[in-house]
Amino acid sequence: MSKLRFYMAMTAAKLSAVALRLLGRNATYLPGLIALKNCKDFIGFLQKPETLICVTGTNGKTTTSNLLNTVLTHNGYKVTNNSFGSNVQAGVAAALLLNSTFTGKHKNKVAVLEVDERSSLLVYKYITPDYLICNNIMRDSLKRNAHTEFISYVINTAVPAQTKVFLNADDLNCADLMPQCKNRTYFGVEAERPEELPKGQIRDVCYCPVCGGRFAPDYLRFNHIGRWHCTKCDNKSPDRDYCVTAIDRVNHTFTVTAENGEHTFRLINDNIVNVYNFCGAISLLRAFGLTWEQISSAFDAGKLVQTRYDTLDAGNFKVTMILTKGQNPIATSRVMNYVSTCEGDNKCVLFLVDDVEDNINNSESTCWLYDCDYTPMADEKIGRLIFAGPRCKDHYLRALMTGIPKEKIVLHETTADAASLVDTDTYHDIFILYDNYRLDEAVAMKKQFAARGEVKA
Amino acid sequence: MIEILFGEVCNLYGDSQNEVYLKQTLPAAEFIDTAITDEPYFVNNTPQMILLGGMSEHTQRRVIEKLLPLKSRIEELIASGTVFLCTGNAGEIFTKHISYVTENIETDALGIFDLTVKTDWFKRYNGKVLGTADGVTVTAFRSSFSFIYGDNSDCYFLKAERGCGINPDTKLEGMRKNNLICTSLLGPLLPLNPLFTEYLIKLAGFDAPAAFRDAAMDAYEQRLKEFRDPKTVF
Ligand SMILES: [Zn+2]
Repeated sequence: MSKLRFYMAMTAAKLSAVALRLLGRNATYLPGLIALKNCKDFIGFLQKPETLICVTGTNGKTTTSNLLNTVLTHNGYKVTNNSFGSNVQAGVAAALLLNSTFTGKHKNKVAVLEVDERSSLLVYKYITPDYLICNNIMRDSLKRNAHTEFISYVINTAVPAQTKVFLNADDLNCADLMPQCKNRTYFGVEAERPEELPKGQIRDVCYCPVCGGRFAPDYLRFNHIGRWHCTKCDNKSPDRDYCVTAIDRVNHTFTVTAENGEHTFRLINDNIVNVYNFCGAISLLRAFGLTWEQISSAFDAGKLVQTRYDTLDAGNFKVTMILTKGQNPIATSRVMNYVSTCEGDNKCVLFLVDDVEDNINNSESTCWLYDCDYTPMADEKIGRLIFAGPRCKDHYLRALMTGIPKEKIVLHETTADAASLVDTDTYHDIFILYDNYRLDEAVAMKKQFAARGEVKA
Repeated sequence: MIEILFGEVCNLYGDSQNEVYLKQTLPAAEFIDTAITDEPYFVNNTPQMILLGGMSEHTQRRVIEKLLPLKSRIEELIASGTVFLCTGNAGEIFTKHISYVTENIETDALGIFDLTVKTDWFKRYNGKVLGTADGVTVTAFRSSFSFIYGDNSDCYFLKAERGCGINPDTKLEGMRKNNLICTSLLGPLLPLNPLFTEYLIKLAGFDAPAAFRDAAMDAYEQRLKEFRDPKTVF
């Protein structure tokens, strides 16, 4: 009976994928949704690929999945992945079924699946990852993810003990995850060890889970990311098996050191959060069986997709567009910090960070803004801050509370025409921080800027 | 003196900026941050105000364990009019009992209010509240795993015009006893509500305009308009 349900679900899902193709639309998670509607344990009936790699954690899932996917593809593997769609249960089901035969036989040897932390219980109940990487566990959307202890509970409850796990040693929330999994590899970054502790940032690690004693940081990069030790017992950040020991920002390289040697890679993005993502992915790919050279040749090939980052050189000015996840305070804070470290003596930052859908017949929860660290925006090399969109007044108050002078702030309640507020004669380094929901507008803005650049060129 | 109780662990959802906003509103006032491993300042002193923010469930149990032995001192402070502002799930520690359904843990709390709490990690509630507390209109957000049950009709904090009270069956939100204010509304309650900030500091004996008053009022009035719009979903 249940097998019959599975075939009915498979038929409906495959037909929906065909229909979507005929309509010229990408098969995202919809076939998966249809399959699960017809057969809720659908994923359990599918044959797994020979190697199943899952990617989870608060920030960096998509970057890491894309990286794993690209390196494996570069090395001749055909990889099943859900990068086209969604990372919840339906997205996982869609990716697997679209790469399966009608009877459920998997066509590819490897799958790389990004799995939303909250979907863990619904996904790992049916499939056991061979490898699972978790980049970090941080404060995320308070509405959906609540707090880190809840997310850790969900992951710890869901992941089978036989999975080999790859964990960020510099994030104690992450390093302690999944104690049932005994095959553990830790990665981290020792290079560019900061000398001062960041001020005024929330920390989701304060006390030792073993003895309740106070944790003391050896150093911290941001929020709770860094190295810790307990002041009462001998609990501390675990040693790293794969460690970034050098970052060369002039020659754009970074070096990973492990027990079995070290290797220097091309640094394709210099944001420190991505250096963590790169190191994590490399540690997993080594365990998978690729050589240092096989991995590094993919970095050299320059095929790595940077979906979250785009630039435009208009001649007389430069525009950098960075996806900034609204409702996610630490991801947003990291982007603000990154902008402050970018080149430019008189930068202009355009904020399009609000949840469009949450502002339709609604009033978006702004609590997350109060967990964001706006301090980098106070940097004197940022000459102009434009907050555009329905929540601009809330951003404005937060900016004032951070000590940013009001003279450098412009407010605008709509977003579509916000590019016109940027004076490209005065500001030559322009940054557009946009939420996922504002992607279309950000792309349109890039075109407007390109047109203005050509006129002046 | 204003005591921030356990601020490093009781700061979920923007609570830490309640403290920052108070400091900016009262630049001359003294603040003390008490760590959960230290003895609270209020044990041997009488602060004008005590702030306690939202926390994880594990931390909530640790806070209860810490404060239970201090219950009689806390009762003295409440009786003498010390202002407490407890946001998010912080106020729950003043109820009688908390059931943590997912973790299967039962915990007796301080019992200042004859109410009980049910916390379920697989039932997340997200909402908004528009209401009036002592004549001051408050707009705020709420995200929680828990609801409070029992009769708070003689000890509520505010009456919700829109949104729900301590649970979906009541419009009476939070608890209040003298100047002990417990509300499920989330942390940045103060910057979101400059008028309530001014009301609260007055209770504690201060008199000052809320920090960045014009900007805060602009944002507050926009939110008020949105919250009063019948099309806005609560
Ligand atoms: Zn310890």
